[in-house]
Amino acid sequence: MGDETPVTEANERGAGSAGASRVPAVRMAGITKRFPGVVANDDVGFEAATGEVHALLGENGAGKTTLSNILTGLYRPDEGRIELYGEPVSFHSPREALEAGIGMVHQHFRLVDTLTVAENLLLGWNKPRFWLSRRAGLRQVREISEALHMPVDPDARIWQLSVGEQQRVEIIKAVFRGSRVLILDEPTAVLTPQEASQLFTTLRAMATEGHAVILITHKLHEVMAVADRITVLRGGRSVSTLPVADATPRSLAALMVGREVELARAQEHERVPGDEAVLELEGVSARGDRGGEALDGVSLHVRPGEIVAVAGVAGNGQRELAETISGMRTPSAGKIRVSGQVLRPGDPRSAIRAGVAHIPEDRLGTGLAPSLSISRNAALKSYRSPPISRGPFLVLRRMGELAVSLIRRYDVKAPGPETPVRNLSGGNLQKLMLGREFEGEPRVLIAAQPTRGLDVGAIETVHAYLREAAGNGMAVLLISEDLDEILALADRVAVMYEGALVGEIEAGAATIEEIGYLMAGGRAA
Amino acid sequence: MIRLERRLEQPWWLSVAVPVGSLAVAFAIMAIVLAATGHAPGHTYRQMLEAGFTGNGAFSATLISATPLLFTGLAAAVAFRMQLFNIGAEGQLYLGAVGASWIALQLGDRDAGSTPLYVLAMCVAAGILGALWALIPGVLRAFAHTNEIITSLMLNYVAGFLITYLIFDSASYWRDVSTLQALSFPQGKPMPTAAEWPVFGSSLVVPLGFLIGLAVAAALWLLYSRTRFGFEVSVIGDSPRAARFAGMRTRRKILAVMALSGGVAGLGGASQIGDFTYTLDPTGLQGAAFGYTGIVVAALARYNPFAVCVVAVLLGGLQNAGFTLQGADFPSGLVGVLQGIILFCALGGELLIRYRMRIGRRARTRTESGPTVEPAL
Amino acid sequence: MSINDSLLVIVLAQAVLYGTPILFAALGELLAERSGVLNLGVEGMMLFGAAVGYWATQRVHGPSATVLLLAVLVAAFSGAAMAAIHAFLTITLRASQIVSGLALTIFAGGLGLSAYFGSELHLADLPAAHQLGSLDVLGLADFPVVGPILFDQSALVYGSWALTALVALYLSRTRWGLNVRAVGEAPASADAMGINVTLYRYTHVLAGGALAGVGGACYSLSITPSWVSGDTLVNGAGWIAIALVIFAFWRPELCLLGAYLFGALSALPFALQARDVTIAPELLYSLPYVMTIVVLVVVSTGFAKRRLGAPAALGIPYVREER
Repeated sequence: MGDETPVTEANERGAGSAGASRVPAVRMAGITKRFPGVVANDDVGFEAATGEVHALLGENGAGKTTLSNILTGLYRPDEGRIELYGEPVSFHSPREALEAGIGMVHQHFRLVDTLTVAENLLLGWNKPRFWLSRRAGLRQVREISEALHMPVDPDARIWQLSVGEQQRVEIIKAVFRGSRVLILDEPTAVLTPQEASQLFTTLRAMATEGHAVILITHKLHEVMAVADRITVLRGGRSVSTLPVADATPRSLAALMVGREVELARAQEHERVPGDEAVLELEGVSARGDRGGEALDGVSLHVRPGEIVAVAGVAGNGQRELAETISGMRTPSAGKIRVSGQVLRPGDPRSAIRAGVAHIPEDRLGTGLAPSLSISRNAALKSYRSPPISRGPFLVLRRMGELAVSLIRRYDVKAPGPETPVRNLSGGNLQKLMLGREFEGEPRVLIAAQPTRGLDVGAIETVHAYLREAAGNGMAVLLISEDLDEILALADRVAVMYEGALVGEIEAGAATIEEIGYLMAGGRAA
Repeated sequence: MIRLERRLEQPWWLSVAVPVGSLAVAFAIMAIVLAATGHAPGHTYRQMLEAGFTGNGAFSATLISATPLLFTGLAAAVAFRMQLFNIGAEGQLYLGAVGASWIALQLGDRDAGSTPLYVLAMCVAAGILGALWALIPGVLRAFAHTNEIITSLMLNYVAGFLITYLIFDSASYWRDVSTLQALSFPQGKPMPTAAEWPVFGSSLVVPLGFLIGLAVAAALWLLYSRTRFGFEVSVIGDSPRAARFAGMRTRRKILAVMALSGGVAGLGGASQIGDFTYTLDPTGLQGAAFGYTGIVVAALARYNPFAVCVVAVLLGGLQNAGFTLQGADFPSGLVGVLQGIILFCALGGELLIRYRMRIGRRARTRTESGPTVEPAL
Repeated sequence: MSINDSLLVIVLAQAVLYGTPILFAALGELLAERSGVLNLGVEGMMLFGAAVGYWATQRVHGPSATVLLLAVLVAAFSGAAMAAIHAFLTITLRASQIVSGLALTIFAGGLGLSAYFGSELHLADLPAAHQLGSLDVLGLADFPVVGPILFDQSALVYGSWALTALVALYLSRTRWGLNVRAVGEAPASADAMGINVTLYRYTHVLAGGALAGVGGACYSLSITPSWVSGDTLVNGAGWIAIALVIFAFWRPELCLLGAYLFGALSALPFALQARDVTIAPELLYSLPYVMTIVVLVVVSTGFAKRRLGAPAALGIPYVREER
């Protein structure tokens, strides 16, 4: 992510929006929304004009999605007002928002997997007659998808489509319903860089055609590439609104975190990795949940003291890779070795015994049991042996002691060891899991999306722990979608594309462009 | 505007106050129904109290009704805690009865001192058969991912047909074919006298089965709260993925828990034979719906073994009162209606334990990073 | 002996007769489950519907057809009333669907409300005032083979065929049917599309109860026809209906076939006995239940699950603002 944004282009965009309609398409003022334990939006205000691409920029946890959920009628604000084209509106349900012309493409698609594309478009729709004839639906879908240059098969069932195609369906759905305001929530999270720029072209086209496009994102380069104006959210508040011409990546980042921040650079590593690889994968293949090949002959090694990052767009096999190494998924081919010992395939215990620690991307639900207490969760890996258990019996006192010690050492903010873990925030969950895994003094640590959804403070803490772990001789496999994080932490970067490792680059030689190229399927030179 | 918010903590007193409160509400509703149909609620309740608890010999009779409910309640609690919905306690109890009566007959006539031998043998046989019957849905669930609700339910009917067959439509080992009368009016062979389980106490008569049930409850409590087995059950019940993550052998647990559940239900069958009927009585067993009522008991007790003991006695009293008072004057079906209402109120009360009601818009909340936001903000 | 007296024809004709209550109840449960709510209280609702329907024929006076029609409607209403309890508990109060359904069975069942209702009104002592007899359709009742099976059944049977077609068309061809399918698969997506998840779930659960009530009325108004206290009137048909929905992959057409299959298996023992064939009747009685297990196992294994599977949100309460 470079600082070099074509200044002239941005200036032109800024100038363009100044000439747009005076009455904003959408105006939100004084919006406040509270949930148990957290204030998600605190007196937030922003407005978007017709013909404009307006970016809502903020890091994870700043309140962007809550705000958009309010705008689309899913939540109701505790305070504040919303105006559409100058008229005050109040939505009591998503249906009302839809009918008012607000369409949204969510991060997690609101599509029904088992229905077809055409059926998904017609859901909840008032206009067509009661009787749905097959052909009418197909015709309408084809008309729109061709008009938007986004071909899609109306008869295909959603579960058969790729993620990018599903997103297309979501956009078509919004247009189909006559939305004049289109909101997209982190749309490029699931796209390759090339697909993303295609999306941006579409968005600019829609803006030109008179829609108001609101882009929710945490990525600076996206904002610089496509937006006319930017509203920065931080900690639930709206911090600043400015035209893109007045912004630079550095200034935006500062607004996002509230202080001057060093944009990530590849760190100088003082660590010297050992010689013998601790973790070795040889030709590992595995089937995915939907039957296809999720991993295709992956070979990889990590040495003690090394941080190897696996980059890639979500859905290219990263989750399956983590699961296969930790034994949660049975490989269909290949071997996994830890310190020379071959792991029993598909057996988590074998991996645990060999010293493999795993921080899964699904924190509550895989890494932790949500309703159970901190002390039970803390003992999840160690309950089988002393001191936590003696014979078949548990020594509850020791479990509590372990939990208290983890809470203290890893600065987990919680009322007490018996608190159910679902009450903890993302950052504290992560610290708890890291503490628990480190407790077992593992040789290998697999960290999958460790900083997703965390605020900046928590991210820095997690990064520090990972570096410390490597410094202590652990072999760390970092799976991440965040290229900045990867460049900051990794010694080596491997890229996954469609289940295969398509390139390995030393950290010093890695650039975003090269990695993005590999992520899109380009072959290494 | 009333909104529901998930509670962050669940105060312990709520777990007691709410079930008690829902009982009170249930009785109040029932009173209205009774009054509406021309029965005086106060009079009816007084009759029930006397027939169930305070009258002469009433509590002893209640314990008789409560004993099978204790076993089937524990059986349901054991399984439901791990999100294994074993509806088959009914059939597992029948199979237990089959096993217990078989072994008692096999052991033949022995002298009075050998009663402990009978008790032990009957319990073992009953437990094994009950466990095996429960392992059918267990295996299907563990290996074929077949929903255990329907399979265990279907097997209840099969079990019922089995015991009916044994006594009514065959000349099986269990059937009494010794007299002409027995041949015309099918019934089971009577157990040897020494196989009759002892009772304890004089004015208050406690069947051995009830005491065994209490012991089983204590053992189950220990198992579930103080052992590795129980730890794994709590994790699997909360999050099977987390259990897999931790390397727990979920399939083995499913089998173990189903077998345990079926075994406990089977013990209920042994108790029926040894404590009360002294013979295999298909009509009596099938008419009583012990298994299904046990689920009600377990749900009301929120799956806690000690609470199951208390609830089993309460519902046993209700059951007993219903049987005793049956007649032209006392409404039939009252027991089921009352049980249903109690359960509905308890389910509704459950809501208050898990959620808190907020009226209006003001909500005092902390501003720092609070509960996890998943999937993403 | 004409072919119409043969074992095959008799069994098939009886299959239709006995299968009809199961079909009604199964179609109702199918609607409820398609919206994502599991209702295990079918047996209880059927029993109550049977009692109330019977009572209606005793109390209302008029031409037979009218009385019977009214009785069926009343039975439907009573079933829906029972289902309303379950709906309120599980949809609004987010209680466990399994426990609530079982509670409903106990509450409304043979030892509960239906018995209470029946004994208060002394229904067991009353002989049937009206009964749904067979209609000789188009005069074809004696046509070889298909006559007794297809053309000599009661109005309820013909109603059930119409209903099956209606439900099938509803789900696949109407806007509401599409919406309810979405509600059962992905309530969050449906909600985001402006569909009122709560409303759809309530209506479909109530419809399920209504149809269960009609199913129960089949027994007291047509098959038996009288009323007895306890479970034996319906004798587990409600539970079979629940299994049937799964057996039929949540498709109405297959519910029809499955219901008749189960009906045949129930009718077989009687027919065989009449011919002095000595197979233990219990063995035959158990067949439907064992078959259900077998079919369930087949349906559950991997391949079938994705393509023929249950509505994905079945059994899970939908909460909009939960974090």
